[in-house]
Amino acid sequence: MTTGDAQIAVVLDDGPNMPARGMVRRVLGATFTRTGAVGGLIWIVLLVLLAVFAPLLANSHPILMSRDGTVSSPLLSHLTAVDITLLVAFFSALLLAGVRWLMRAFKSRLSQSRFGAPGVMTWITIVALTGLVAWWMVPPRYAQVLSQYREAQVAGELDWAILAPIPYSPTDRQRDSLSATNIDPRLLLPSPAHWMGTTADGEDVASRMIHASRIALAIGMIATGIALVLGVTIGGLMGYFSGWVDLLGMRLVEVFSAIPVIFLLIMIVAFYGRSLYLMMVILGLTGWVGYAVYVRAEFLKLRNTDFVVAARALGLPLWSVLFRHMLPNGITPVLVLASFSVAGMILTESTLSFLGLGLVEEPSWGQLLNQARSAGSQWGLVVFPGLAIFLTVLAYNLIGEALRDALDPHAQRSSMM
Amino acid sequence: MTQSTRHDQPLLQIRDLAVSFPVSRESRHRGHRVRAVNRVNLTIYPQQTLAVVGESGCGKSVTALSTLQLIPTPPGKYDSGRIIWDAGVEQSPPVDLLKLSERQMRSIRGNQIAMIFQEPMTSLNPVYTIGDQILEAILLHQQVSRRQAVEIAESALRDVGIADPGGRLREYPHQLSGGMRQRVMIAMALACQPRLLLADEPTTALDVTIQAQILELLRELQTRRGMSVLLITHDLGVVAENADVVAVMYAGRVVEYGSVHTVFDNPLHPYTRGLFTSMPLLGGDRHRLTAIPGNVPDPSNFPTGCPFHPRCAAMQGDAKCVEHDPPLLEIEPGHWAACWHVSGYDEGLAAVPDVAYRRDAATVAADPD
Repeated sequence: MTTGDAQIAVVLDDGPNMPARGMVRRVLGATFTRTGAVGGLIWIVLLVLLAVFAPLLANSHPILMSRDGTVSSPLLSHLTAVDITLLVAFFSALLLAGVRWLMRAFKSRLSQSRFGAPGVMTWITIVALTGLVAWWMVPPRYAQVLSQYREAQVAGELDWAILAPIPYSPTDRQRDSLSATNIDPRLLLPSPAHWMGTTADGEDVASRMIHASRIALAIGMIATGIALVLGVTIGGLMGYFSGWVDLLGMRLVEVFSAIPVIFLLIMIVAFYGRSLYLMMVILGLTGWVGYAVYVRAEFLKLRNTDFVVAARALGLPLWSVLFRHMLPNGITPVLVLASFSVAGMILTESTLSFLGLGLVEEPSWGQLLNQARSAGSQWGLVVFPGLAIFLTVLAYNLIGEALRDALDPHAQRSSMM
Repeated sequence: MTQSTRHDQPLLQIRDLAVSFPVSRESRHRGHRVRAVNRVNLTIYPQQTLAVVGESGCGKSVTALSTLQLIPTPPGKYDSGRIIWDAGVEQSPPVDLLKLSERQMRSIRGNQIAMIFQEPMTSLNPVYTIGDQILEAILLHQQVSRRQAVEIAESALRDVGIADPGGRLREYPHQLSGGMRQRVMIAMALACQPRLLLADEPTTALDVTIQAQILELLRELQTRRGMSVLLITHDLGVVAENADVVAVMYAGRVVEYGSVHTVFDNPLHPYTRGLFTSMPLLGGDRHRLTAIPGNVPDPSNFPTGCPFHPRCAAMQGDAKCVEHDPPLLEIEPGHWAACWHVSGYDEGLAAVPDVAYRRDAATVAADPD
């Protein structure tokens, strides 16, 4: 997707009968030259940044403070295991991308990055290790009094303090600490102090919005990821073996497409209580059907192509034929569906939260919308979460649409984007 | 090649192979099946080139694909027959390839028997570099490090006449021409030193000068490495140039079998004769090509008796041709044919074709060096 690649592609693409050159890469390249898709991508990247840096952007704990001459950073010492894992994941990804760029710049030997993808493996290892260690080391949070710093500052006990840009944690309920500022912090309208106003409990909406981007991203990515892995595996086996495997698989597809997901989720919440992880798993377990059908169709087409027969004639094992040789040639239509489905998953989570069946403690956009029902004139509670959901769903849809157009040359002319 | 192998034992024997496919999806349950290959017998000796000639749809490719169990088996089915593989080494006794499990088959494919295909344009995976694809095959079958595998791949590419093999390893298939791609396919097939190469019309998709180069290359590599080749083609010129033994196939059957010299000097079957008379002659003053009348029979509706009888010039209204399918019999030493009207055709003769004939180059290579 770098400009260098694009130039090479232009130079090499010397005829209409040229077969796919790194099909996936070509399609992605064509996708992200469209304004709509670029806009969508920018919004998603912005969300990722917000999600990663949420604790640094919106937090009641000061970044640095000095109390009785001792300097401390309550913010850093109050980071959770999730915060640490996300930050490490982000910076190690940046680092590895930099290393790879350097290696490319210095023309390393035989491009090993394509097959083994050692960079991605290293990254996954680093993230998994950090996650485990963080879970192990970081103690569970005891009940925090988040207004302690504000009260201390008002009382003049702090020498100095550097606060986060939004000095309110998402769970900082200021109705509990009217004493600090002496104004009623409930359902405040958007103002310089609270950019998006406050909720009925006196929580800062902007802070909750930023922290909620984590859930919005996670539910979309993880639920879609589970669905993708299941769908690609089942669909791949169906398409490759056809015959009775296909017959059984299609019946399974029919059974699963008959499940009403929202009702299933409501039932699960009723039996097992509210859990984000359970929600992701259920969404993933019911959402694989579409991918399976797509991948099956692609694999039925690919299984008799020459290069697949040639790969088998070389004695390659099944997993290599399926996932290394067939999948990259048939994955692109699935990516389109995946980008639309991420949007769908986010909407489902918002719906559940709006119905009051979502998370209790963790902030989520749908939950903010739910609170807006009884918020009276606090329009911030309606506009901002609604806008965020709208923009995110739009962004994923724009990317999906551009992907689809990039795959279908007939649609390129008619597209307005 | 310093292999302690027996040269007098057949490397591969295909015995009574029959493969069928359903006629169409709707009639699958009613059991209407086409015999794409019907009781085919072929024998390949070490260092021999066996050419299989025939029109499209006569079962050439199905025979080759069956050897590696590459026929997709939900629609296709191996009805009968054995394919006996005898690598000729003491520790591995002859095996029936059709009875091997998928796992056992994988150790044969690419390693002992390799295959190259008709379409070099589509036989390489477009998303990976040449190097990725060759290395995968080498690392799979040989216990070598990645660095050694790169060296093997480079020398394999050099062997097939590709300049700058190191640079080519990093290129994608679409960056190469058709002839280059076919060379890469050959390099890939030969990188693991197979004993038998199945070449399914390796030059059909290439233009004539490249065809000659590729065939020359195959011949040279065959002599050098002492491997056997099953060459599938529909070009009699290619057969004459490259093969030791030729099998002519028609409608899923072998109709004539013998050494190239015997068959070309004295074609016995009316179909083979028809093929020879329909070849254009350089310098001849004929205005039209002599063609075999009629068309290849519809596979779902083969004629009764001898499948060639509706087009046959020798039949002359013989009811036996319509009613009975002639088996393949040895008419003269080392020359088999399947036709009631060949003089000397007698059911008392040997039925399983087995010609150990090898031409000069191969005979030289047969001496242990």
